[in-house]
Order: sequence, then structure tokens, then C-alpha cells
Amino acid sequence: MMNISAPVYLEDKLEEVERSGKLEYRSGTLPTWCPGCGYFSISEGVGKAMTELGLDQKDTVCVSGIGCASRFPFFMNTYGFHSLHGRALPVATGIKVANEDLTVVVVGGDGDAFAIGGGHIPHAARRNVDITYILFDNGVYGLTKGQTSPTSILGFKTTTTPYLNFDQPLNPLMMLLSYGASWVAQAYAGEPHHLTEMIKAAIDHRGFSYLHVLSPCVTFDKTSMTYKNLDMSVHPLPDDHDASDLSAAMIAAQVTDHRQIGVYFSSERPTLSDGLDEISERAKKTA
Amino acid sequence: MARTAKQRTDIQIAICGSAGDGTIAAGDILKQAMAKAGYNVIAFDVYPPEIRGFGKCIARARITSEQVYSLKSESDCLISLNDSHAIPHVSEVCKFGTVIYEDTPVSTVGEGAHVSSHLSPAHLPYGVAFREISERITSSARSRNIVAVGYLAGLYDMPAEVFHEVISGKFAGKSKELADSVGAAFDAGFQTGVDTFRLHFDRIGASGGKGKQTDLVMMSGNAAVVRGCLDAGIDAFFGYPITPATTIMEMLAREMPKHSGRLLQTEDEISAIAATIGAGYTGARAATATSGPGLALMTEMMGLGAMAEVPAVAFVSQRGGPSTGMPTKTEQSDLNLAVFGVAGDGQRIVLAPTNVEGCYKCAGKAFEMAEAFQTPVIVLLDLYLSNRYEAVQLPSKNPFAENCSKTPRKNASPAEYNRYKLTSDGVSPRAIPGETGRMHTVTGLEHDERGRPSDQPRIHEAMSVKRHQKLLPALKHPGVTISKRFGDKGVVDVGVLGWGSTFGEILEAMIEARKEGIRCSAMKVVMLSPLPVGPVKAFLDDCNEVLVPELNYEAQFASLVTGATGRPVHRLNRVRGTPMSVGEILDQIRQLVGHSGKIAAE
Ligand SMILES: Cc1ncc(C[n+]2csc(CCOP(=O)(O)OP(=O)(O)O)c2C)c(N)n1
Ligand code: SF4
Repeated sequence: MMNISAPVYLEDKLEEVERSGKLEYRSGTLPTWCPGCGYFSISEGVGKAMTELGLDQKDTVCVSGIGCASRFPFFMNTYGFHSLHGRALPVATGIKVANEDLTVVVVGGDGDAFAIGGGHIPHAARRNVDITYILFDNGVYGLTKGQTSPTSILGFKTTTTPYLNFDQPLNPLMMLLSYGASWVAQAYAGEPHHLTEMIKAAIDHRGFSYLHVLSPCVTFDKTSMTYKNLDMSVHPLPDDHDASDLSAAMIAAQVTDHRQIGVYFSSERPTLSDGLDEISERAKKTA
Repeated sequence: MARTAKQRTDIQIAICGSAGDGTIAAGDILKQAMAKAGYNVIAFDVYPPEIRGFGKCIARARITSEQVYSLKSESDCLISLNDSHAIPHVSEVCKFGTVIYEDTPVSTVGEGAHVSSHLSPAHLPYGVAFREISERITSSARSRNIVAVGYLAGLYDMPAEVFHEVISGKFAGKSKELADSVGAAFDAGFQTGVDTFRLHFDRIGASGGKGKQTDLVMMSGNAAVVRGCLDAGIDAFFGYPITPATTIMEMLAREMPKHSGRLLQTEDEISAIAATIGAGYTGARAATATSGPGLALMTEMMGLGAMAEVPAVAFVSQRGGPSTGMPTKTEQSDLNLAVFGVAGDGQRIVLAPTNVEGCYKCAGKAFEMAEAFQTPVIVLLDLYLSNRYEAVQLPSKNPFAENCSKTPRKNASPAEYNRYKLTSDGVSPRAIPGETGRMHTVTGLEHDERGRPSDQPRIHEAMSVKRHQKLLPALKHPGVTISKRFGDKGVVDVGVLGWGSTFGEILEAMIEARKEGIRCSAMKVVMLSPLPVGPVKAFLDDCNEVLVPELNYEAQFASLVTGATGRPVHRLNRVRGTPMSVGEILDQIRQLVGHSGKIAAE
């Protein structure tokens, strides 16, 4: 396991990217994230995954909400839609419904997803919209400078919870599994190779794929989801985990003493586009 | 008495019953048949807010030989299918009007509980055994409503064959047996009507020389919106049910898939407009439909559409507010929300049709404008317009243009592609996903021409100008009425300025005022944003007094006009949940003539 115990610097990262020859998916805009932010690792993973999958940039759309994580589309040389706080999923659904030939990758932070945008996730999942949702979870609000988030741990002190965070954190993996997501996995920004593989598999999945990425916010979280703490608590899912078994996935998702990365659940079923095509066929028959 | 071609027709029928009596269905057959027979018909149904139980339903239809623009406040005939509901409506029956009711109730009726004991001496009562006739013919009481319509048709000498056409059309592809039994119930009622002793003025006059017309169709405002969407080639629709907009989605859900269109019921209005904008971003013609509460949820997205410059169409049918308000009653109180409801300077196009044909036009044109000006477009309706029926003639040739997008020049170098390029008309060439080399990110953040986030003062200023200036040419968009003046030309005593569904009543009042010798004209404003300030000012210049009637408490349109022109206007506001009465507008016009006369004399 590769440990990142020190911050990663922007300059180093850029050099590394340049050397990798994978700038094709990079836009001319440099990421505005803090040096060391886990998001660099995710965005590099997405670029690599796209290169390896050979996605055509003109047929790829990155959609986001608002937050540090949601700045992501600006840094990509694909089509992009930087929408509203919490609304990336419905925008992406509209895009996919109108043009199913596009590969749609949605990104967002934990607040964007589970606080303001929480109402949209079950519906994108149950409809099995053929999009990939990469959730950048840092357990804190980054862009607005350090408030508590729905995935902040109990007791976490932030600017809006200066004494104590009293709210129980959500369990996103359990939620997505129960919502009917057809592909659910977890990765860690500090494990870039595994992360890239997960992103590739997520994009490759036909249907709604949810990838939860644990990603430290080096600026506003010095105590809980740090690289140091995550390095210690992140473990791969057991080798014998059966990703076709929803109950097994749910049991694995309830492990709280450490964080397990890998594919929790994977299944195939008709996508929203398949359903809409069938509706159209039936309508034409009755016409 | 023989019918003469010269005899004019203008009768209004009200059918009143409780939910489950088939009141609305009876009204529907009546209006469809009379439109088929070549009459002008305007109809409006009132439903109870609750679905079950015994709420009151009223179906009203005004049948005329001449073109009219609204329902009358008095009806010529009331049919009671439920006396307790009908009794309060006896007072709306005009002098020498008829009241038709069940004369053989199932059980004894308490004192005052029968409608016949509430008639005035000037009403003509016709008691009919609806239930008995229905039971005799169909062995069930369920066709009482059809017997009643048949009776009305017989009594008034309406042509029976059009009713049969409508009835068999309704059951086409369904049970032949049922269609036959309903037809027989109609005939039995009809014969009873014919055999009734009656006075001459109970007969319907000619249809205005139009004869039987097949290209006139009875259509509700919402159905016209749907036709407009389909003719404009709608690709995608996303909606969340809310009265009075739901029927738009329901009709599209049946029709769109037949043309490979895609429709999705979303989890809320935020996602409905978000998905509409997402689909618009890919180049699709996409729309949503809602009412005030839904539009309130959509405002943040409307701003994103304006900032990111993405085409999207939203049909908004107003009802009584604020909050859940009066969901089944009409009102025009969402103008402010439609025109101004957004964070920041997020202007968009707002169109408010005034009649059913306008609903069709504005619906199709909204897609053209959304594309041409890269903006959200709101088509503002209200319950009275969404649900009212008019006999309309749709154009034989599809009037809507297929693609109005300004696209990047084919040979332009992709490297130079700027999504938000500052151009002379403010509209930037728009590339959509799938185009080689023109990748870009659209955003709700202020941005430079490339689309890169920027909060530079000069950029925010230039982009704000661009986003507003580009909308002005919409005032000249071809094929749609932006504003229009009717009645007397030149200087007038009173001008009535109106918008939306109320304009029908305004026109009627203006016509009456002119008959009384008042110099009067009326102007409708269809485009509320950007407002056609020039034509409105020119109209105000011509009017000694200006009256603005509208169905809201806060005088929202009057304030909009005063704000834009700096001219004072007289306000007439009603919030009773019902359409404005022609009489009330007329009274105001008369008073204003006296008013201006006084001023002139002083
Ligand atoms: C409607 C609305 N409310 C609030 C905000 C302010 N806001 C922007 S980002 C954000 C939270 C960001 O946290 P998260 O989604 O976890 O993303 P991160 O910045 O940590 O990547 C908030 C509250 C907004 N932009 N829009
Ligand atoms: S504030 Fe946190 S999440 Fe945002 S860029 Fe900086 S480190 Fe990353």
C-alpha cells in the first residue's frame, strides 16, 4: 500500500502529469485546489481512466454541482456542465435522456450530494441512469471554508459546530445499495492505482455506477479524515467478497472500524434509456 | 317557429352536479358537438379540490354565432344534476332563462331542498325524469347526464347527428355496446325534449352561416400547449405533477413516445427544470410544466439557464396563491415570480398568451426563441386558460421553424472556439456535445468568453450587457403577437391594458363600452419580458384614462407597466378565484369616462 503522509505539491503534480503524456483530457485551466488536496489524485485518476478506456473527448461530458470538487469540469478537456449546488444528477439525467450516446461523468462533494442534493440520488439510482457518479468525500465543506457536512464524524469541530458535531454521519454506501444503484464501490485518493482501476470499472459499467472516494481536505480537516488516519483505516475488501450478492455488500458497508475499498456490488439491469425505448415501442404499437 | 339564418345565437349553458354525476362529461359532449356544428364555443369547467366525495362540479359552455371572447356572468340555461349544488347557481340564470332538473327524485325531498322551490317567477322550469329514462333505456341510472344533454338538445333544437358523432368518437375502439346504450340514452332524452311544450325563445339560432365545420376543433389551453409542443418537435419533457399543469404532462406522456420523444416524471420541480436544462444543453428541444409553487422551486435553475445561456421552456399555469393557496381556482398572481423570480440579474423571456389559439402559438414559438436567444423561456398560463375550451382552427401547415440555433461556422478553427463570444447581437455561436474540438464547460459562475470563471469587473459588466441585450430582438420574433391593440384608433376616453386569460373579458367590456358611445380601445401584452415598452407607451399616450384589470391583489402587471413607462394607471384587481366579470370592467370604464370628463371640466 502506498502511503502519502506528506502533502503533495501542485508543481510536482503538474510535472508528473506532463511526463505521463496524458494531458489530452486536461484543459488549459490549472486546478484551483489547495496543494495536497486529495482531489488532484481523483482528477488524475479520471484522466488516466479516460485515456485507457479510449473515450472520445467530444462525446464525453463532465457534470458537477458546486463546491471544491465541482470545479473539476473546468480542468478537463471534455464537454462540461458546472451546474448548481446539489443539482448535478438531474442535469446529467437530462443530458443522458436527450443524448444517450454521450458518456456522462458526474462529480461532486459530500455536501453537494448528501445535504442539498440528497433528494436526487435515490432517483438517479433507481432509474439506473447510465452515468457514473464519482463522489469526492472529504467529510467537510471545503469551498465555503470548513463547515460540518453530512459525512462529518461525530464530535468533529468546525466553524458551525465549534463545540461539537452532534449529527450522526450518513453511511453513503448503505444508502446507495438500498437505493438500487447497480454498481457501488469505494476508493481512496491515497491509493491512486486502485482508484484509477475503480474509475475505469465505474465508467465501463452499463447503468448507474457510484464510486465513493475518500479524499482528505488538507486545509479544513486536520483531525479526522487526514491522510494519516485514512492510511491506517483503509483496507481492501476481503478477497472472498461476492459483489453479486446485495446482502453481502450491505454487510460489508456496515463495517465501521475500518474503511474497505473495492467493488461492493455490481449487477446488470435495463437502464433508463432502455426503458424509454421500450415505452416508445409500445406507444408506436398502439398508435 | 322556423329558424332563420339571420338569427344570432348566444346562449350559455351551465351544468351543475356533484363529482360522479358525469357533469364534466356531459359538458364535454355538449361543447364538442356544438363546435362540430360550426358554432363558436367557449367553455370552462369548475372542479372541486377534492377528488372523492361529493364536491361540486360545474361545466359552463357559451355557444355563439359571432366570435366572442369570454363566458358571460349570466347563464341562459342551468341543468341541475344535483339540486343542493345547483341551488346557489339559480341566481346566475338570466331573466326568462331555463332551469332543467330531475322531477322524480328517488326519495322524498325536504322543504327547500328541491331546486324548483328556488326559481324566480321569471325562470322557465323544465322538470324531467332523468333517472327513470336512463333506467328504462340502459337499465342503469348512470346515463342520467346523457339523458340531460339529450333533453337540452331536443328542447333547443340542436342537431342530434353531431352529438351522435361525438358520442361514438368518445367510445371509438372501446365497447360498442356501451356506445350504443349511451347513444340510446341521448335519443330518449332528445325525444323528450322535442316533445316538451316550450316557448319560442328556447330554440338555438343559426351557427353564423359557417355550417358544419370539420377543421374547427374544441381544445383546452393545455391541449393547445401540447399541440404546439408536438408541432415544434419537442424531444424531451420532464415534469412533476401539479394542478393545473398536470394535464400537459399527461397528454405529452401519451403522445411523445409515439414520435420517439422522451418524457420523465422527476422527483421534484428542481430536477424537472434541471433535466430540461441538461437536455437543452445537448441541443434537444426540452420543456417542463408547473404552477407557481413549482416555479418557486425552479428559480435558482432559471438563473443558471440565463447565466449558462442554455435553451429551456417552462409552461407555468397559475392558480390561487401564495403557498398551496387555492389549487383549483384561477388567479394571475405569479407574474412577479415569472418575470423577476431569480437570484441576480437573470432576465429571461416570458410569454403570456390570452386565448387557446395563443397557447398553441406561444408554445411552439417558445422553443424557437429559447434556441435563438439561448435562454429559458416561460410561457405563463393560468387555470382559466389551461382548462377553458375554445373552438380553434389550427394552421394546416406547421408554423414552427425546425432549428433556430446560431452554430459555430463550419470552417472556423476549433482552437478559437469561445462559447460566450461577445458578438454584435449578444448571441454567441453555440456548440453542443458531440462536436469535434469545441469542448467547453458551461457554468453558472460569471465567466469570460471562453467560459472560464472570472469575477473581473469589466467582464461581469460586458457579460451582463450581453445577456440582456441579446433578448431585445425577441420583441420582433416573427410569427407571434407580442402586443396588439383593438377597438377605436387614435385618442380614446378609456384604454384597457391587459394580459393573459383576462383579456377575453377585457375585449368584451371594450366592445360593450363602444356600443354605449364611449371611445375605447384595449391592448393585450403577450410578451411580459422583455416588455414591449414602445408600443405600450404609444398606447398610453392615446388614452385619457388607462384601466388595468387583472386577477391578483397586488396589481402586478399594472406595477410592471408603471415601472417601465413611468405612467400612472387605474387598477382593477379581483381575487375571488373566478374569472373577472365583464360587467365589472365595463362599470369601471363608465366611471373613468365620468372621471376624465370631470377633469376636463375642471
Ligand atoms: C443554494 C446554495 N447554497 C449554498 C451554497 C454555498 N456552497 C457552495 S459549495 C458548498 C458546500 C461544499 O461542500 P461539498 O459539497 O462537500 O464540496 P467540497 O467543497 O468539500 O468539495 C456550499 C454550502 C451554494 N453555492 N448554493
Ligand atoms: S479546501 Fe479542502 S477540499 Fe477544497 S481544495 Fe482545499 S483541500 Fe481540497
